[in-house]
Amino acid sequence: MSPLILKLILHSTWQTLEMVVASTALSVLFGLPLALFMIATGPQGLYRLPFAARLMGMVVDAVRAVPFIILLVLLIPVTRFIAGTSLGTEAAIVPLSIAGIPYFARIAEMALREVDSGLVDAVRAMGGTRMTIIRSVLIAEALPGLVTGVTVTLITMVGASAMAGVIGAGGLGDLAIRYGYQRFNTTVMFGVVVVLIIMVSLMQLIGNSLARWLKH
Amino acid sequence: MKPILDIQHVTHSFGQHTALQDISFSVKQGEVVGLIGRSGAGKSTLLRCLCALERPQQGHILLDGVDLTTQPERQLVRIRRKIGLVFQHFNLLTSRTVAGNIALPLQIAGCPRKEQANRIAELLELVGLKGFEKKYPSQLSGGQKQRVGIARALAANPTLLLCDEATSALDPESTSSILNLLADINRKLGLTIVLITHEMDVVRRFAQRILVLDHGRLVEDGTLLDFLRDGQNNRTLQTLLADIRPSLPAFLAQTMAATPSAGPHKAIVRLVLSGTDASEPLFSALHERFGVQTALLQGGVTTVGDHLSGDMILSLEGDRTEQALNHLKTAAQNMEVLGYVPSHS
Repeated sequence: MSPLILKLILHSTWQTLEMVVASTALSVLFGLPLALFMIATGPQGLYRLPFAARLMGMVVDAVRAVPFIILLVLLIPVTRFIAGTSLGTEAAIVPLSIAGIPYFARIAEMALREVDSGLVDAVRAMGGTRMTIIRSVLIAEALPGLVTGVTVTLITMVGASAMAGVIGAGGLGDLAIRYGYQRFNTTVMFGVVVVLIIMVSLMQLIGNSLARWLKH
Repeated sequence: MKPILDIQHVTHSFGQHTALQDISFSVKQGEVVGLIGRSGAGKSTLLRCLCALERPQQGHILLDGVDLTTQPERQLVRIRRKIGLVFQHFNLLTSRTVAGNIALPLQIAGCPRKEQANRIAELLELVGLKGFEKKYPSQLSGGQKQRVGIARALAANPTLLLCDEATSALDPESTSSILNLLADINRKLGLTIVLITHEMDVVRRFAQRILVLDHGRLVEDGTLLDFLRDGQNNRTLQTLLADIRPSLPAFLAQTMAATPSAGPHKAIVRLVLSGTDASEPLFSALHERFGVQTALLQGGVTTVGDHLSGDMILSLEGDRTEQALNHLKTAAQNMEVLGYVPSHS
């Protein structure tokens, strides 16, 4: 493998990691409150607002319904407004996050729903405020599930970031298509696949052990 | 004395279904009350009303003089901190250690960190789980989990302890130890305890007073002794009491007739005794006075609350059996002739 190819792969790996980590972080940052909102306003929630819950669910599903490659193009004006440019790695973080937020929100919602309602009742009966319940019961008890959700989101973002080449974001997927596919360079293709496999396996491994450790 | 808990005409329904209908009773400071009823009798609803999780549609619930039904939600959050609740399925946070679980009500009450540690150590000592601070609920047995649940319920010095089927998920051995612990807490701290259950056996062990709930109504309010004495014609009581009362052995029931046979026969009677009567030398007295041979077939004498109580099935044989029966009728709390069997059986 030539040093040039190695350098290309390294650079692309870095770009992919940048996109994946940043967009997952943003997905969790916005997706978790969204999930809490849907749970809390839901039919058995702490703040019953069924209409708001349904509306939010519809918005989430609408975003999730759009294939990422289309979302990427559709969001170009939004990306330009937020990132100042519609091209490059940093710009790609915007559509990746916008796709990731509802994705993680649904996963987090499932994890939060798994929390035994008896615990919520117990802390409510103890005189806990709704904030205490959200912090000490919902989030704390769902933490292993939420960590698993973050792992799944990270890996999904690895896949989605491959399409970000469309807006010149670079990354491993883009490298594999341009060099590996369009220029028939099997070495690059093979290298990229190996790096992706290692990356995804590591994410899964770390995510699993963290979740297991949190489970007690 | 002013009651610590005063329930006045509480009625609550879910849609068409009336869960509670005109419930009134009061509980004195330091009293242990058993609230018993079959599933669907309205126990859970009443419990949720008592711990201010549910607001009854009608009636008033006064806890220490404060009417729970008229307080705004913000005040109720405060009031709930003064009610300890012990759950059937423990409801411990799996993400927290034993110490962390007991600390939760203290954190909610805004207790400083240093005091928390002292209080936790004190409570663990009380419930017999010294040194378990750092364990997680998943590492504990059911009985131990319930001890943590009790420690947690006591953490914020509640004025009332509500136990919701606290022993129903436990094996008989743990059930006894948890009931002993609760009785101990009642004695040591003078804490008022309301025990909600469907098992007569549980309330029999240490409830000083028993309330019976049936189809959303409070049908009985008294001691176990009252029930044993007067419950003969009460269907609800009969079904509840059937669990804990001695029952006639099947082989005797088959040969038993309602009237004495012509030949030599024995009378089968059910006898309820209480207090000092229960420790009297009954059998020898019957023999001396009436020349009657008495045998104990089922049951015996147990402790109910603070005193002895006898509930037994006897067979009496002799020429003056009828007189002996008349004597028992006046001497015992309750005497019922179940029937007669021929002597040889």
